[in-house]
Amino acid sequence: MSVVKQRILPHHPCNAELEVDKISNLPAQIIDKILSHLSLRDAVRTSVLSSKWRYKWVTLPNLVFDNQSLLISSQDQTFIKNKIVNIVDHVLLLHSGPIHKFKLSHRDLQGVCDIDRWILFLSRGSVKEFILEIWKGHRYKLHSSIYLCQKLIHLELFNCLLKPPLSFSGFRSLKSLDLQHITMEQDAFEHLVSSCYLLERLTLMNFEGFSDLKIHAPNLLFFDIGGVFEDINFMDTFNLAIVSIGLYVNPGFDRNLTLGSAGNLVKFFAHLPRIQRLEVQSFFLKYLADGKVPGRLSTPCNELSFLSIRINFNHFDECLAALCLLRSSPNLQELELLARTEDQFDLRTVANVMEENYQNCMFNQLRHVKIAGISGVKRELNFINFLLANSPILERMTVKPASVDGAWEMLKELLRFRRASVQAEIVYLDP
Amino acid sequence: MSGGPMAIVKPEMKSYIWLQTADGSIQQVEQEVAMYCPVICREVAQNSTGSSKNNAVVLPERVNAAVLGLILDFCRFHQVTGRSNKERKIFDEKYIRLDTQKLCELASAADSLQLKPVVDLTSRALARVIEGKTPEEIRETFHLPDDLTEEEKLEPLRNMTDDPRIRLLNRLYAKKRKELNERKKLKNVEVEEQQRVDERSVDDLLSFINGGDGDSKGVRETKNKKKTRGRKEQARNNSPNNEAGNCNKESSCLASGCLNGDISDVSSPSRNSKLQNSASATFPSKLDFDDFDMDDELDPVMQEKIDREVEDFARRLNCDWPEILSLAPERRLGPISMNGNGSLKRCTAGVDRG
Repeated sequence: MSVVKQRILPHHPCNAELEVDKISNLPAQIIDKILSHLSLRDAVRTSVLSSKWRYKWVTLPNLVFDNQSLLISSQDQTFIKNKIVNIVDHVLLLHSGPIHKFKLSHRDLQGVCDIDRWILFLSRGSVKEFILEIWKGHRYKLHSSIYLCQKLIHLELFNCLLKPPLSFSGFRSLKSLDLQHITMEQDAFEHLVSSCYLLERLTLMNFEGFSDLKIHAPNLLFFDIGGVFEDINFMDTFNLAIVSIGLYVNPGFDRNLTLGSAGNLVKFFAHLPRIQRLEVQSFFLKYLADGKVPGRLSTPCNELSFLSIRINFNHFDECLAALCLLRSSPNLQELELLARTEDQFDLRTVANVMEENYQNCMFNQLRHVKIAGISGVKRELNFINFLLANSPILERMTVKPASVDGAWEMLKELLRFRRASVQAEIVYLDP
Repeated sequence: MSGGPMAIVKPEMKSYIWLQTADGSIQQVEQEVAMYCPVICREVAQNSTGSSKNNAVVLPERVNAAVLGLILDFCRFHQVTGRSNKERKIFDEKYIRLDTQKLCELASAADSLQLKPVVDLTSRALARVIEGKTPEEIRETFHLPDDLTEEEKLEPLRNMTDDPRIRLLNRLYAKKRKELNERKKLKNVEVEEQQRVDERSVDDLLSFINGGDGDSKGVRETKNKKKTRGRKEQARNNSPNNEAGNCNKESSCLASGCLNGDISDVSSPSRNSKLQNSASATFPSKLDFDDFDMDDELDPVMQEKIDREVEDFARRLNCDWPEILSLAPERRLGPISMNGNGSLKRCTAGVDRG
């Protein structure tokens, strides 16, 4: 049987300038660039455009499989899975050249074992960025060949289980690690962090399987963590500049037990000489307040320019810790105090604390202060008074109460406070 | 007027670089502007060209005089150091408003001059032009020849072009196209509409991102969405695989912006939203949006006929797909087995892949 081939010959009009195909002959790297700005789906579809375009997409270095590039309008789980597997298989097989980035993040894909196959495939190449997000179903256990990808620079995982083999000696090139909703063992985690020598960014959210965080990463610059843990220790993190820590569970310490030993606050800052931005979220201040809290740190945080603290003003120890921090940050430019309230109240008064340790504490660089969630308690007002009186170049302070109760009273008090800075404006926001 | 001789810039005091473009024209350009280009900079530094008209810097072939003008506009603006990022961005956005031909030329020229910012801008602009268009529209915009055979358009799916099933598919396609073109002349319906119908009949059969699930139309108009509805219904009755082709006539307009995997983003500390998103299940509803379009604007009789043919063909094709595609229990009919000369014969016994 003869095949009916219909080749439509290209039409060359007389006014060549207007109708010449200028795009198909652009250099390959430009075509790659153009295609990389399209979703994978659009990029692959260019293969039907013309004979020259048939294989232009196969050298795309970044492959992103997500809801936008895998459009499947069906609710049937099996169907979706089959479709996704089919597409990824086809793309990987037709692809040619190095794959630099592989991202799989489809909302309906569960942790199927086909992913193992793809990881194995990638491990034979030199993938640099690997992002896997499993949005449905149980934690997907990462196939062991992922640990062979030594060219990895960025690894991002969501809802996965990591179990590196004993012979794993870290990702030699890894600079950025983002683990969220993962399960891992204590030793495995420590080993992972310490063996990735080049690690600069570490993000950890909602992890299971380990609660003692030992961060030994000499090149670390950015650290962001939110989860449940018992202890955190930095080691040799002399370059760490941006830290954000959220402890999602109330540690419930008993102060008496740790008297005498160096408190958590001192221990925490011992290895953070270059810290520039710090966010203390959820219950982390409570953790820091545990143990002995000095009036100020022995080595001030000279580079700290942004500080955000979630604080329970009713808790005496937390206030002490916050004050210590404030006194140790002479170059602070921006401060946020976000109040949180809890059921238990610490009835010890604050009066003596504030009056004694006030002196010699000037915030010479402080320009912006934001205070939110307060209810007009004496302690809170003392803090505000303290800040206003000691910030000679303050530009703006924003106060937002938690509710309308007592808001008017608070406003009246605020009005009376003396301000060291003539420029200061106090902006009062409605709750 | 502030005094002093320096207030008036005499031409002799500024230094100029001489540039020669591929089409032979030679022009002189202020030094700081020209040096913004890495290639020119290197030429001047290493080979000390550009100092006089006879010794002009010879620019790469892809740079003609017109495009050089554009390049220099860019350089002239950006080499000034005092500008804010916002200003530069505004300039860039205006700068890139060119027709596609010019964009291509500019991209090419910028690449040969290694002016990366312009390459990035033009690539992104060209991507925006391509995004969401149907293949026909793209071909028209860029004047691409439609020189692939129907088989080749399907090629990513099957690498063998002499597969009898593909031939059959081609014949059906060609027949359909002829039919519809005739109808078009008779009924004077919009060309686009019919072509879409046409393609879709092919698309339906292919479960693939290429012509397949990429319904080649970037479905912006509701017209498109509505059309697919009928076929999907039919196809679905037979086998889920068929409608794999239709998966997504919608999406481009629904899916938001770009997939940004930029690792240098400083992520905000609380990523709890990720988990919240997965629970909120907004996505499935979006993806299904397309399924509920109603009115079919095609002539219902024609529609039905096409549907029937599509169904029939799909059934036949579907039976012999490799394992990863098929859902084995769904098969309704016996498979097709091929005899030597490639003609199709339906056999009723067993599940024999042949």
